[in-house]
Amino acid sequence: MKAMTVVVIILLTIVSLVYIFPIYWTLVTAVKTSLQIFTYPPIFFPTRFTLSNFYTAGNIFGAVSQTAVGSVPWMIDSTIVAIIATLASTFLIAAPAAYSLVRYIKSVWLGRLILFMTMIPEAVFMVPFFLIVVKINLLNTWWGLILVYISFTAPFATWLLMGFFNDIPKSVEEAAEIDGLSPYQIFYRISLRLVIPGIIAALILNFISCWNELLYALILTYSPFPAGAQTVPLFLTSFIIVEKSFAWGGLAAAGIFTMLPTIILGIYAQKYLARGLTMGAVKG
Amino acid sequence: MSEVVVENLTKKFGNNVVLDNIDLKIDAKEYFVLLGPSGSGKTTLLRLIAGLEEITAGSIYIAGKKVNDMLPKERNVAMVFQNYALYPHLNVYENISLPLKVRHLGPEKVKEKVKTVAETLHIEDLLQKKPKQISGGQQQRVALARALVRDPSVFLLDEPLSNLDAKLRVEARVFLKKLQKELGITTIFVTHDQAEASTMATKIAVLNKGAITQVDNPYDLYRRPNDVFTASFVGSPAMNLVRGVIRRAISGNAWTFSNEDISVSLKDIKLDADGLEVFMGIRPEHVRVVERGKGGIDSTVSVVEPLGSVTYVTVNVGKTQLILQYPGEIKLDMGSSIKIQLDPEGLLLYAVDTGKRLAIDE
Repeated sequence: MKAMTVVVIILLTIVSLVYIFPIYWTLVTAVKTSLQIFTYPPIFFPTRFTLSNFYTAGNIFGAVSQTAVGSVPWMIDSTIVAIIATLASTFLIAAPAAYSLVRYIKSVWLGRLILFMTMIPEAVFMVPFFLIVVKINLLNTWWGLILVYISFTAPFATWLLMGFFNDIPKSVEEAAEIDGLSPYQIFYRISLRLVIPGIIAALILNFISCWNELLYALILTYSPFPAGAQTVPLFLTSFIIVEKSFAWGGLAAAGIFTMLPTIILGIYAQKYLARGLTMGAVKG
Repeated sequence: MSEVVVENLTKKFGNNVVLDNIDLKIDAKEYFVLLGPSGSGKTTLLRLIAGLEEITAGSIYIAGKKVNDMLPKERNVAMVFQNYALYPHLNVYENISLPLKVRHLGPEKVKEKVKTVAETLHIEDLLQKKPKQISGGQQQRVALARALVRDPSVFLLDEPLSNLDAKLRVEARVFLKKLQKELGITTIFVTHDQAEASTMATKIAVLNKGAITQVDNPYDLYRRPNDVFTASFVGSPAMNLVRGVIRRAISGNAWTFSNEDISVSLKDIKLDADGLEVFMGIRPEHVRVVERGKGGIDSTVSVVEPLGSVTYVTVNVGKTQLILQYPGEIKLDMGSSIKIQLDPEGLLLYAVDTGKRLAIDE
């Protein structure tokens, strides 16, 4: 038993290191001077630090890119697009869809179809979505991205929430029915409140995937706020100055900026992602 | 006055007939218990009355109105669920007041009603707590309060005591009976526990496999069960049922019940039943221990269960096993032999082929 615990801890440490290392590497690269960045063998534990990567423009072979602190317009686009897409796909589509699938339609087949839709590579729809967005005149706008992101995040959120709605004891809803609540009131006043952990998990996961999305942002937008709607992943690409030449210091500094919201949300989401929250008043 | 009438009620889930042509009349203010083993359809019947299930055929009337197509909220019934089904995200006050709020009662009126019902059920101190912060017994009272707060015409209880421990259950039994009497609400109570049924009910309907076997008050149900199922289900320990044949003596009207182990003389039977295969039913308290030298049937003690006020003794007469209830304490060794006697007043006969009780003295 004791030996098992030790083995488990060692394995978990290794896995954690694999996941943490890229973040750590970004962090130390951001505070290294360009000389330290290109030193071989690489410096894992720098002793001298600089913050110049955050406010001076990236510079490779004399070519100049953005500065990390110049990310504000892209941040604005990302924040607005991610928040609206996330709220709309979770509350307007996923929650009502999941509830009606679980309580009214009760089709296992349809539930599986929704899960299957989350597995389709997003790139498959690149051409049709591009044509649609061009046709409805939403190229390089927030709404173009928002519509596409809703279509990608809603199936996953629906599938996630179906599990949560399934866990609500039927008797609680029946009690509400007898107490005189209409089906809409039961959904809004009882069931939706009982799946709040699931809603939060869905919101955070959806937000992260919208925030990180690159492919569609690349084809559907071409300039940042205020003229267009380019999001932060595209901002990061501006540190690639010429082919195969990266302004590593600036890229790492900007990378830290852009991953902050997702890291904070990820930490916050942890406890909600752990399923099996007990339902208080209901036994057996 | 809110009586509940069930007419020719049938409920099927797919091809599975759960309730088969049920007729039932529940008078206003009655404490009516639906008693049956699991799978007998008793909960389904309650849910049909509540409006939570759709009726396959037949009709239900509440207070003279046909409610077949009415929504649960239009029937003005209240229900307490086995797991209480409190709203976990609302505190006790909000739980109790929700049914009033959705009926658009004024805030003053809501406050007053919740206060009154909370006092009746002694839960005034819990109003600000969440369901998971209070005990099972308290949760049950909150569930009752939520049901009672809107003055329902029928009160439906689905095994509400089964999640309580033994001591609380007895308390809740007494409490519920008193409460029902005070409030005078027609109450339908579902249980599989016959002790619960007979202590609380004014009338009991016994269900088996989707059909009602008997509707009676607790006394008559216990004394004269209509068929073999009811006889063996009602009463603990169960009624002794001994298989044998009844015969009329060649001369006169004397009848005897006999099998290879026991022979018992019976009262006059005015039936053409000579040679009929029957179960002889006799409750444990009607099997008596007789002192030596005063006749009786020879038997061997196999199990002794002392309960303090009474002692249950299982005896064997040949291959026939009987359980008897001895008032008070008795010291017996296993394997020792005692004499027993069957009280003719307590004898009931059931036909083996139909399972129905023979009307031997009516």
